[in-house]
Amino acid sequence: MRNLSVAAALLAGAAFAVHADETCNSPYIAKLIKGQEDYVYVWTLGVEGLGDGSDKLVTVDVNPRSKRYGKVIHSASTGARVEAHHMGFTDDRRLIWAGGLADNRIWVFDIATDPAKPRIVQTISDLGERSGWLGPHTYYAMPGRMLVQALSNTQDKGGRTGMALYSNRGKFLASHAMPTDQGGDGYGYDLAVNPRKNVLLTSSFTGYANYMRPIGELMKDGEAMKKFGATMAVWDLKAMKPAQVFSVPGAPLEIRWSLNPKDNWAITAAALTSKLWLVKQEGKQWVAKEVGTIGDPAKIPLPVDISITRDGKGLWVNTFMDGKTRYFDLANPEAPKQTYEKVTGKQINMISQSWDGKRLYITSSLLANWDKGGADNEQFLRAFVWDGKALAQKFEVDFTKEKLGRAHHMKLGSRALRDEAKRQDEAKK
Amino acid sequence: MSRGAAVRALLLLAAAWAPAAQAHHAGLLPPLEFDPPPAGSYVLHRIMPAPEGRVLGLDGRPAALSTYTRGKLTLLGFIYTTCVDPEGCPLAYRVFDALQEAIVAAPALHDKVRFVTLSFDPARDTPQAMRAYAGSRAVEKGAGLRWYFLTTGSARELLPLVEGFGQDLRTTPGSAGGRARRELSHVLKVFLIDHAGDIREIYTSNFLHPQVVLNDIETLLAE
Repeated sequence: MRNLSVAAALLAGAAFAVHADETCNSPYIAKLIKGQEDYVYVWTLGVEGLGDGSDKLVTVDVNPRSKRYGKVIHSASTGARVEAHHMGFTDDRRLIWAGGLADNRIWVFDIATDPAKPRIVQTISDLGERSGWLGPHTYYAMPGRMLVQALSNTQDKGGRTGMALYSNRGKFLASHAMPTDQGGDGYGYDLAVNPRKNVLLTSSFTGYANYMRPIGELMKDGEAMKKFGATMAVWDLKAMKPAQVFSVPGAPLEIRWSLNPKDNWAITAAALTSKLWLVKQEGKQWVAKEVGTIGDPAKIPLPVDISITRDGKGLWVNTFMDGKTRYFDLANPEAPKQTYEKVTGKQINMISQSWDGKRLYITSSLLANWDKGGADNEQFLRAFVWDGKALAQKFEVDFTKEKLGRAHHMKLGSRALRDEAKRQDEAKK
Repeated sequence: MSRGAAVRALLLLAAAWAPAAQAHHAGLLPPLEFDPPPAGSYVLHRIMPAPEGRVLGLDGRPAALSTYTRGKLTLLGFIYTTCVDPEGCPLAYRVFDALQEAIVAAPALHDKVRFVTLSFDPARDTPQAMRAYAGSRAVEKGAGLRWYFLTTGSARELLPLVEGFGQDLRTTPGSAGGRARRELSHVLKVFLIDHAGDIREIYTSNFLHPQVVLNDIETLLAE
């Protein structure tokens, strides 16, 4: 009460702009971390015989002013190993939803009570039963809701799939199949929203039967290799109806809208063809254009994750096979130009950047059965600083040495995002 | 004139309608950058029940919040009277103003909708302060559309409501007049609540537009 009184008497009243801090988050997510983040949460695949062998959410202290800088400070285990993959904040940034591709469970972590120590507060297990989908992948915050993009289905474990809408409290609300008409292939991977345009954009990958197979075996199976997504779809967000489907060959994966309010485009990378694609509004219609090449497609560098700068002028691209982190100048999004590259690991996957673009975090694991073997199977979180010219590594957490597992998706955290009630209790003390 | 054109005309009217005492709410609304789907062509899910709690009306009398969130369609937004962020409370105010004009002009919507403005800031936004803030808006202008201005008796009463709506609110260190202060901040959300008290849509500043809200109101009325 006292805090609110003081605040009320003096408030400057600046409502937060509706942006995300790390630039790939949903635009509906509140609470920017405009300064230094304190934590990186790493959603980690369990490895049999390593630690407890379970998937877990690992908290790493990333504040250079902390005595624990670069150290693991907490681990919240699920007690299960289901190919942990991606996660997402709810729009109020109080919860993280996280799941695995080999299963249909979704674990909900409370990060508001103590941002340093996420804890599981709910397990949602009705996705398959309610929607028929399998392998929840993307968790995209909508106002009061979470839109979950799956990769597969419970019936044949192929690539036909869809999205499920839940309330933030975990109540199933609706299911939406990926389009199989208008040229749609029914596959799904990522989704991203442009609220100003009432547009939902989706991409496509492959089903359980493929992503759970060892990569060497899969690549020799010509028929299986045909079963990858080759489309993107523009949806009427309000109506949740597909409006246009584009041919985008080679499994278009992560989708990033330019966060510049004047821009009307999103960019993605097709994994198998190593191409950058632009989806742009021209008049009232949307078009998809191939606009660039990542490395030498003949060598299959396998672009896996991309991260756009907050001004939409630059794009980081991680390629798994050659371990390179590349920077593309997006001043002209129709003609991206690579201006920098650095080998950041023997295998690399996800990349996240701070809102100011000065700090980058990179992890190593793609999928349990697709990661490299032997000495190339590095498992890490590496932190870099970017001065506009070069990346300089600041620290590394060896996830094998720490008996954690395979490091995959990341989200940033801050002590400042503690629950308001807890903050007030502490203020009273 | 189509309903969309009528809404656009009303928006211009609303933008032009800015009594001196309410000049800080004037200004053009951001343009709508898409054609919303027709009313009734989509589903608004029951996201969650609106929370219950004790609120104070302009007369200072306590009442259950459900008094103001059931029986009609309710458009509810949190404000604090000193908010100046153009994408925050003032935007919501302009949208409510424009909607009021549109609803008054649409007989099919008469007696079907209410507005609720609920303060984040019980210490400063007393019933008396809310009365001054509301001005003539608290007076029914016909069409059965009432605009209620509510506050709470304390932060203890407010916080469960804020949490129940999933409305972000936090205090952050700041400064004013050279002294360390704590500032209040939030992300704008406006809630559309159905007759039964269930939240059916949550608008943020990037798609809070009268035409979108009107379509949603008509969609719920057609259920």
